[in-house]
Amino acid sequence: MKMLNAASFILVLLYAHVSKEWPTHTVCKEHNLEIYYKSCDPVQDFALSIDGCSRITVRAFTIRAALVLRHSIKKLFLNVDLIINGKSILNYSSTLCEPGRPRFTFCGRMKGEHIYYEGPVSLGIHELPQVSSLFSFLKCKSPVGLWEEGRGAK
Amino acid sequence: MACCIYCLILMGLFCVSCKTSEHVDMVCTEITANKNYCCEDLGLTEIPKALPAITEILDFSFNFLPSLHNSTFNMLKSLVYLDLTRCQINWVYENVFQSNAKLNTIVLTGNLLLFLAETAFAGPYSLKHLVLTQTGLTSIMFIPLHNLDNLETLLIGSNHISSLELPPNFPTRELRYLDLQMNNIESISTRDTKILKQTQNLTLSLKGNAIVHIEPGAFNSSSFYSLDFGGCIDISVILAGIQNIQTVILWLGTFQDVEGTLPISPVMLQDLCSISVENVNLQMRHFRPLSTATFLCLTKLRNLDLTHAGLTAIPPNISGMKMLKELNLNENSFQHICNISSAVFPSLTHLSVRMNLEELNLGSGCLEALTQLQYLDLSNSQIENSDCCNEQLKGLSNLQYLNLSYNKQHWLKNGAFNECAKLEVLDLAFTHLHISASQGSFHNLHLLQILNLSHTFINTGIQHLLTGLQNLVLLNLDSNSFDSGIILNDNLFQEVPSLKELILSSCELISVQSRAFHSLRDLKHVDLSHNKLTALSTEAFSNLKNMYLNFANNRIHFIPRDMLTSLSGKSIINLSYNPLECSCSNIGLLTWYKQNLDKIEAPEGTVCCEHKSLAGMKLSAVTLSCGMGTAGAVFLALAVIIVIVASLILTVRFLKRQYHQI
Repeated sequence: MKMLNAASFILVLLYAHVSKEWPTHTVCKEHNLEIYYKSCDPVQDFALSIDGCSRITVRAFTIRAALVLRHSIKKLFLNVDLIINGKSILNYSSTLCEPGRPRFTFCGRMKGEHIYYEGPVSLGIHELPQVSSLFSFLKCKSPVGLWEEGRGAK
Repeated sequence: MACCIYCLILMGLFCVSCKTSEHVDMVCTEITANKNYCCEDLGLTEIPKALPAITEILDFSFNFLPSLHNSTFNMLKSLVYLDLTRCQINWVYENVFQSNAKLNTIVLTGNLLLFLAETAFAGPYSLKHLVLTQTGLTSIMFIPLHNLDNLETLLIGSNHISSLELPPNFPTRELRYLDLQMNNIESISTRDTKILKQTQNLTLSLKGNAIVHIEPGAFNSSSFYSLDFGGCIDISVILAGIQNIQTVILWLGTFQDVEGTLPISPVMLQDLCSISVENVNLQMRHFRPLSTATFLCLTKLRNLDLTHAGLTAIPPNISGMKMLKELNLNENSFQHICNISSAVFPSLTHLSVRMNLEELNLGSGCLEALTQLQYLDLSNSQIENSDCCNEQLKGLSNLQYLNLSYNKQHWLKNGAFNECAKLEVLDLAFTHLHISASQGSFHNLHLLQILNLSHTFINTGIQHLLTGLQNLVLLNLDSNSFDSGIILNDNLFQEVPSLKELILSSCELISVQSRAFHSLRDLKHVDLSHNKLTALSTEAFSNLKNMYLNFANNRIHFIPRDMLTSLSGKSIINLSYNPLECSCSNIGLLTWYKQNLDKIEAPEGTVCCEHKSLAGMKLSAVTLSCGMGTAGAVFLALAVIIVIVASLILTVRFLKRQYHQI
């Protein structure tokens, strides 16, 4: 019996299939602000943190972010859709890199390069909306690049 | 009992190990059989033995090969391109590529190289491209030069190289692209550039290096194709150091994420007078001030890029800019197009004033001096044009390409483009167009080949909308609606008989009448995707040979076979994301589909509709038995024969009995 259990255990170990869903990271956990993120990229996670969660303003706050490029950056678009309580409060899209128009130094960086950014970011909105008793969870909308914020009760 | 369990365990482990090794060998994706394979990010620690020996292109990135030996790649004797990005390679020993004579490209990006043996790159007959981006290099001397004589491209950006100095035996004969961007080069001396003088037509990138000093004369008599000093803080330091050079392109712009760059005063550009250059890029540089003196040493340029330079006006009394052919003024803040002082640049053939940060007023006759202009881009510049466009385009008789897309509104009058009879491409997309029914806005554009009217809210019921466009080849009407969602037989397309490509996606179409496109005899590419069509109306087209038809994302359930059989030659059809019935009532489609898989685009998305038993199954996998079939017919025939034979036998017996009685 013990041998059978051992064999089963070995077989389970060998056959165990680890699902590739990236963890939810906690960026801020303050008394009035919680921010989480999860990567929807099918091949990798990425790293993001905010310096001084209690000092965040909409004008500028400092982040540090890092990832390894899985493609060379020939064209890069940024689409941000921030929805709270079913209301879209921030909708922003911008072309960051395209041939003939490299807006940033990371335009043209190659597949496999490690990109690290530490510096200010501005949201471009006038004020953060006041929300209460909201617990937000994240789920991926499509395989690459899109987040959809779901809602849950707190 | 224990024996049985032992056997079970052994069998289990045997099965697992067999399956594991088979799994490793088969996991690489075949891009082209026997030629191109992708083994990216599979956790591999060696080249899979199942890879064909004649593989030419191999992407082995994001695996695990801490050290490379002379046996690592010896099976792949036909290898031409090898990508080893991020394989955690630390050690490259001798003769790694000794068996790869045909190899011409090696990519080692993102590996922290601790050692490159002297003969690391020996073996290939003619290694042309070597990528050592972000490999932790602190000096160019780290790279062994044995067998690199034919090198054309060397990418060593994103490292920690602090000196541009090249070793005496550095390969220069074939070198065309040397990328040293994002390193730590602060100073360049004459000794550093000595070897570079032996190169020809070199593209050298020093972008992102914080260069603070270039020894005077360091680049004397050097000749380049392109020099990139992007992101440098003070361009006067660069220009002082590169006096007397020859280059076709000089990139001196900066980036949004570079801080502390000094604004350009006229005196800072003086050294440009001693540089032979055709094309200068000064994107995101600001001028303090911008005056006629700023342009004193820009007079020999053919191409000038002043994107995002904070410009509101160009001084009108600048002289000497007669040689300039291409001018880029994108993302500035001109309020009126006359403020660009076009008369200063009389020889311009290409002008771009797109993504203007203020609402751009096109005025009247502001571009009249640009009689040579062929290409004009005014897209995304917040233009609202109440009387378009003869006054605004006055004098542009040689214009071939005009982009007025992504603006606010244009009111197109009769003969709106009379000034530009030579137009070949006209883009008005994503701008609300107001066109009166009685006017022919495009009537003199006899040479127009491409017209983009996507998202323009035009009235497609205007019969003579496209009058005059007898040579139009491509018409984009995406997201414009038709009356009642129907394309009638009598429609606006009769005015464009030469049309080859027609885009009618997202037009809320419900149906297409049976002769709607019969006048378009040359039509070869039609996009009717994202509509509400319930029928595949192929009879609307006069000729279905070598035709591309996109009917994706419609509401088609049934397709009679005779709608498809006329698709001949190299025709392609896309039926994906339609609620196709997979039942015997649609057997004509299902049979044709399986027999013509080479004509199908997007087979992965062409599936049975959701509400039936085969929901979600790919059409190519559906198997139905409808009617009797061959086996049934044979059985029936046999049954009939048996009945006939039995009847004959019984009849003969009956007759015999009767005869005997007699």
